[in-house]
Amino acid sequence: MKRVFAFVLFFGTLISAAFQPMNLFAEEKADSANIPVESRLALNYLCANDSIILTATLSIKRGEATLALENALVELTASDGTNSTLLGKVKTDQEGIAVLKIAAAGLPANMDGTVAYSATFTGNSKYPGADASFSAKLAKIRLFFSIEDSLRILKVTATQKNAKNEEVAIPKETVLIYVPRLFSFLKIGEITLDENGTGTMEFPKEIVGDTLGNLVVVANIEENDQFGFVQGRNTINWGVHKQYYKAEVPSRELWTPIAPMWMIITLLVMLAGVWAHYMYAVYELVMIKKLSKKDKPLF
Amino acid sequence: MELQPKNPLRDFAPQLERTSFQGYAWIVFLLAVIGLGVYAFLQQVIKGHEVTGMRDNVVWGVYIVNFIFFMGVSYAGALISGTLHLFKTAWRKPIIRMAEFITIIALLIGPCFILLCIGRLDQLHYLVLFGRIQSPITWDVIAISTDIFGCFIFLYLSLLRDLATLRDDELLRLPNWRKKLYKTLALGYTGTPEQQQRLNRATDIMAAMVISIAIIVYSVLAWIFSVTLQPGWHSTIFGPYFVIAAVYSGSAVLIICMWVFRKVYHLEDYITKKHFVAVGVIMLVLAAAFFGYFTFSDYLTKWYGSEKNDELLIQLLFKEFYWPFIISNYIGVLLPLLVVGIAKFRTITNITLTSVVVVIALWLNRYIIVVPTLESPYLPIQDSRPEWLNYSATWVEWSLTAAGVAIFCLLFTLASKFITIVPVTGLQKEEKKEDILV
Repeated sequence: MKRVFAFVLFFGTLISAAFQPMNLFAEEKADSANIPVESRLALNYLCANDSIILTATLSIKRGEATLALENALVELTASDGTNSTLLGKVKTDQEGIAVLKIAAAGLPANMDGTVAYSATFTGNSKYPGADASFSAKLAKIRLFFSIEDSLRILKVTATQKNAKNEEVAIPKETVLIYVPRLFSFLKIGEITLDENGTGTMEFPKEIVGDTLGNLVVVANIEENDQFGFVQGRNTINWGVHKQYYKAEVPSRELWTPIAPMWMIITLLVMLAGVWAHYMYAVYELVMIKKLSKKDKPLF
Repeated sequence: MELQPKNPLRDFAPQLERTSFQGYAWIVFLLAVIGLGVYAFLQQVIKGHEVTGMRDNVVWGVYIVNFIFFMGVSYAGALISGTLHLFKTAWRKPIIRMAEFITIIALLIGPCFILLCIGRLDQLHYLVLFGRIQSPITWDVIAISTDIFGCFIFLYLSLLRDLATLRDDELLRLPNWRKKLYKTLALGYTGTPEQQQRLNRATDIMAAMVISIAIIVYSVLAWIFSVTLQPGWHSTIFGPYFVIAAVYSGSAVLIICMWVFRKVYHLEDYITKKHFVAVGVIMLVLAAAFFGYFTFSDYLTKWYGSEKNDELLIQLLFKEFYWPFIISNYIGVLLPLLVVGIAKFRTITNITLTSVVVVIALWLNRYIIVVPTLESPYLPIQDSRPEWLNYSATWVEWSLTAAGVAIFCLLFTLASKFITIVPVTGLQKEEKKEDILV
């Protein structure tokens, strides 16, 4: 009876485990195929240096996972409200991103200079289609550097195209000033434009540049309802010259090439303690061998 | 109680002198499984790790699970044999050698699985040349190699008396090379008081050493996981949790070995129900500790903490990994409590079958420690693909897993052919004591 109980319990456990969905087995994949899939398309716009950069990011959402969709064809168009112009068809990369850079001149714009952009993924048998759109007026930011009374002055001007395709000032907008660093942009100031679309700020002295002191300065109008994301760039050698130097004594940290001293000492003490005992055991074995020779009968 | 035969070596002589047809068939079967593993390994070397289920998302799979499992079994062997020796437990003698063999054999197989995870085996020596002391991987390499030496010395010390007995027994029909080998390995031990004193001293020291090293080494293995910030791994109790789980699984493996050798070599007079119950009680206590304290404590604090990633992990465990979770943390833990805890169910067969369930449960326990966490990373992995999100082991990994188990069984079989699976010298002493009592 006891054996029967044991076998029923044991094999019952195994069989019930084998027939249940479990990551170890292939049945899991069949389940994942039934999870609904949703395509998502996002369109980012950047107007910089007389160019428009449209970035479409395509992803799919399956269950709780969001994944980039690679090699999908995204169609990008521009419209003035009535007529639509195909800007190009771009395949997404491994990160699901399709980028199109076009000249700002010649884009179809409506009466107030607004261009409507749209991105479309038509979809296929596996993934449903998706689209995204964005509207913005063409704009331009220019940066000028000057020294006035030994002060370093940065001057920014922002203009937009009107219906006659003429450049007119963008008044009262906020322009953010950055200097690109290794991982991100370092914000160094903020300028509010006047009626003439112009603003100035004193340029800081402590920004580190390259070995020659060169700095790239970036001026952005960000997330603006009319203009979207507009960027202007210029270079100036107002940075502090970067000097590389090696520390005379590298510090002992978890992340540096040489370990902290406490760690080395702890390890050595432990290893010495353990191996000393090993040596003692081996020594005892050697002594046992020696004793056998001593105890050997002479005849 | 029935008296033991006068010279127990006579009972064990057949296992040393000859191998039955079934024995050869068993060895051929094991070699075939190992052959399949070699073929799978060659496929992996030629085609790369794409033949495995491991990808950018889930970079560890069954191999690391096997590594943790075998290392755990090894440390359990060391802890059990060391403790039984140090406390001079009366019933230890018939089973202590099995625990020692488990230690060494599992310790030799475990690290092989970590080598299988390495993509560039040709650059393996870089680990020594450029290893950083700050890295827990380096600690693990140092710790495991130190442990291997220590366990070999401990095993050799405990074999010495029997090697001398085998050397001196003239009735044993063994080839000359084996007799010469016994003679060389016995180091001229004749059991003089001074030799005994030195041997006892060295064995006692090494028993204490293997216990402490086993605890340290398995904690180091746990720290490889717990020093990361990954959900499910970053836990302060991972070290002791691993040690307890190791002894738990190791005691189950020991019970299975006891049952197998008892049946195959007809050791019913030596390995009795008393031994099964005794090791079963070790398993029972550890099951209670493992379940009642560590597992519950670990998951309870994560659940109450309600951190986003911990919650996602717990959801994953109760959804996609439901059965592995239930088997490892409920069935594998409650079964020993019932079978060993209730006297009515406490039979040799029941305890052994429970041990088989515990072994499966503890293997699954390691699986749900490794895979679900890697399937729910903190940061999105670059260039990820849908088929890489979930891990599923391939035939290559299963073949190499089977080969690992086969090597374990083969080495155990060969070891039992080389020296008695039960220390005969120890039994002689026990027999005399019983004679006096009678």
